[in-house]
Amino acid sequence: MPRQFAYYPGCVAEFSSKELNATTLALAPMIDIELLPMPAATCCGAGDIAEAKPNLYLTLNVRILSQAEEMGVDVLTICNVCTLNLRRANKMVKEDPRLLEKVNEELVKAGARPYEGTKEVTHLLWYLATEEGLSLLEAKGPRGLNGLRVAPYYGCQLLRPSSVMGFEDPDQPQSLERLIRALGGEVADYEAKSKCCGFPIILARQEVALRESHVALSQSRDAGAECMVTPCPLCHLAMDAYQRKAEAQNGTEYNMPVLHLPQLIGLALGLETSIMDFKRHMVPVDRVLETVGA
Amino acid sequence: MPTTTLDIFRYQPDTTEQPYRQSFELEHAGDITLLDAILDLQNEQDGTLAVRYSCRSAICGSCACKANGKTVLACMTQVEEVKREFGTETVSVDPIGNFRPLKDLIVDLDPFWEKFKAVKPYLIPDDPPPERERIVSKEAMQKIYNESKCILCAACYSECNSLAADPEFIGPAALAWGYRFAGDERDTQRKERAKLYSGDHGVWDCTRCMYCNERCPKGVDPRDAIEKLGGVAFQEGVTRDKGARHAKAFLISMRTGGKLNETLLVPYTDPIGAQLDMPFALQMLRKGKAPSPIPHRIKKLNEVKSLMRNVKETI
Repeated sequence: MPRQFAYYPGCVAEFSSKELNATTLALAPMIDIELLPMPAATCCGAGDIAEAKPNLYLTLNVRILSQAEEMGVDVLTICNVCTLNLRRANKMVKEDPRLLEKVNEELVKAGARPYEGTKEVTHLLWYLATEEGLSLLEAKGPRGLNGLRVAPYYGCQLLRPSSVMGFEDPDQPQSLERLIRALGGEVADYEAKSKCCGFPIILARQEVALRESHVALSQSRDAGAECMVTPCPLCHLAMDAYQRKAEAQNGTEYNMPVLHLPQLIGLALGLETSIMDFKRHMVPVDRVLETVGA
Repeated sequence: MPTTTLDIFRYQPDTTEQPYRQSFELEHAGDITLLDAILDLQNEQDGTLAVRYSCRSAICGSCACKANGKTVLACMTQVEEVKREFGTETVSVDPIGNFRPLKDLIVDLDPFWEKFKAVKPYLIPDDPPPERERIVSKEAMQKIYNESKCILCAACYSECNSLAADPEFIGPAALAWGYRFAGDERDTQRKERAKLYSGDHGVWDCTRCMYCNERCPKGVDPRDAIEKLGGVAFQEGVTRDKGARHAKAFLISMRTGGKLNETLLVPYTDPIGAQLDMPFALQMLRKGKAPSPIPHRIKKLNEVKSLMRNVKETI
């Protein structure tokens, strides 16, 4: 029986980075999970709604959690930012019954279902980076990554604040490394793997943001990575879509293909490359496909 | 008695031009704080080793430094715990980041204090002082309790990713103090503060790397304070900054479809920049990264609209 999840892909994976959503949906049966759609779920607010209207942020996110509760399953995400926003709201109301009561009053007034506080939110990476998940991947007999040198890039919000996230030590994360090795890849290690990609301010403060992405892009290049992998579509946009801009601003070349996490797994498990839609990437991934033999 | 190797950043500009590293072996009782370890080295092995400290009790905020790369208060960090956490026998000790080192572990904090002063970290009431104290309710103080715990140790500045990319960013501690007063019901400068904190290098420059929340030794959660200042700016109608417009675009998206309308986000945040950047927009379009301008509509959008009308902000 595949494990069922309420699937919360987040807005970016549904719209501008459709390749991430398509790959995840195609991958799900290969890794024994069933992704149930959430047609009434809103955007998590990405930290922006929390910044403008904190109570509204909380209520909207609890509404999403309540929908998963009604479906009787936990939430699975594929975005760092969605994971943080949903988990933070969940923690706030689970730790404070009076707050949950207030939020539920608002939900009921709006005709939405109240939340009982019984569901959890996890990220695809966390689901797979457990002993269980890793042995499942190995049991699938992966085609493997053929020694592809991969730079793990965590970004921020899947690690910090650890009081909300808590899957692993934010200063010495290892989940991506374990996954890369289990899939037959090599890890290109570098210091900036858990520094910020700059995406939250890339529209409002582009110059600062591109100085931030430069750190991880240049370090991963210098570590000899053939590609970077990230569990977050916002990091992907900053690292891939804005990579040429970062090159121009910082006066250097990175030439760093950036894979979404499910694409890396898909490559290893032999998922059809056309489904993974690499042509939507700004930086070509040819050298990655060549090494893997896809 | 366990022995620990401390690998310390040394910088003695009076005698040596360049910084260097020096390893010390220290025998110590099992329980010893990093600060006591450094002071033992200073007393017993090298009197020139410079460190700033005062209270030894996590109150004065003087002894922040990096242990194995992680910013801590030296006086509230056990050497053995650092070794256990990182699985190392050696503990590397460095001055806090994002500041200019002056001597060994001591950095030039002048920019930190300048930024702190710039947020007007004091109450500005508009009436003459009363004869007795101004009474504030417990609930009102609760709102600014976290921020009032800040001891100005600068641990949050040490690994702030925005500050690393923009040295002029006013930074997490100063903004936390900003909210400590903007959120104080005795203060009368809420709108002025919202304007003061909203410009370049202010609230909207925070990149949300969350290092400040992770590192703060006192549970201030500066990023949360920055977020609350965004809320204050919205309540006061101070929303012209591109960062605020970015957040507004999320609210409009939410009301009109329930999901983020990415096609709206770019031109709404930065109307002029978006026009100047047409080549990039066209590249994105070619890669299918500019989604349909017709916003997606979630099911039960009426629930969301109702919440948007009715949920009151209490910041």
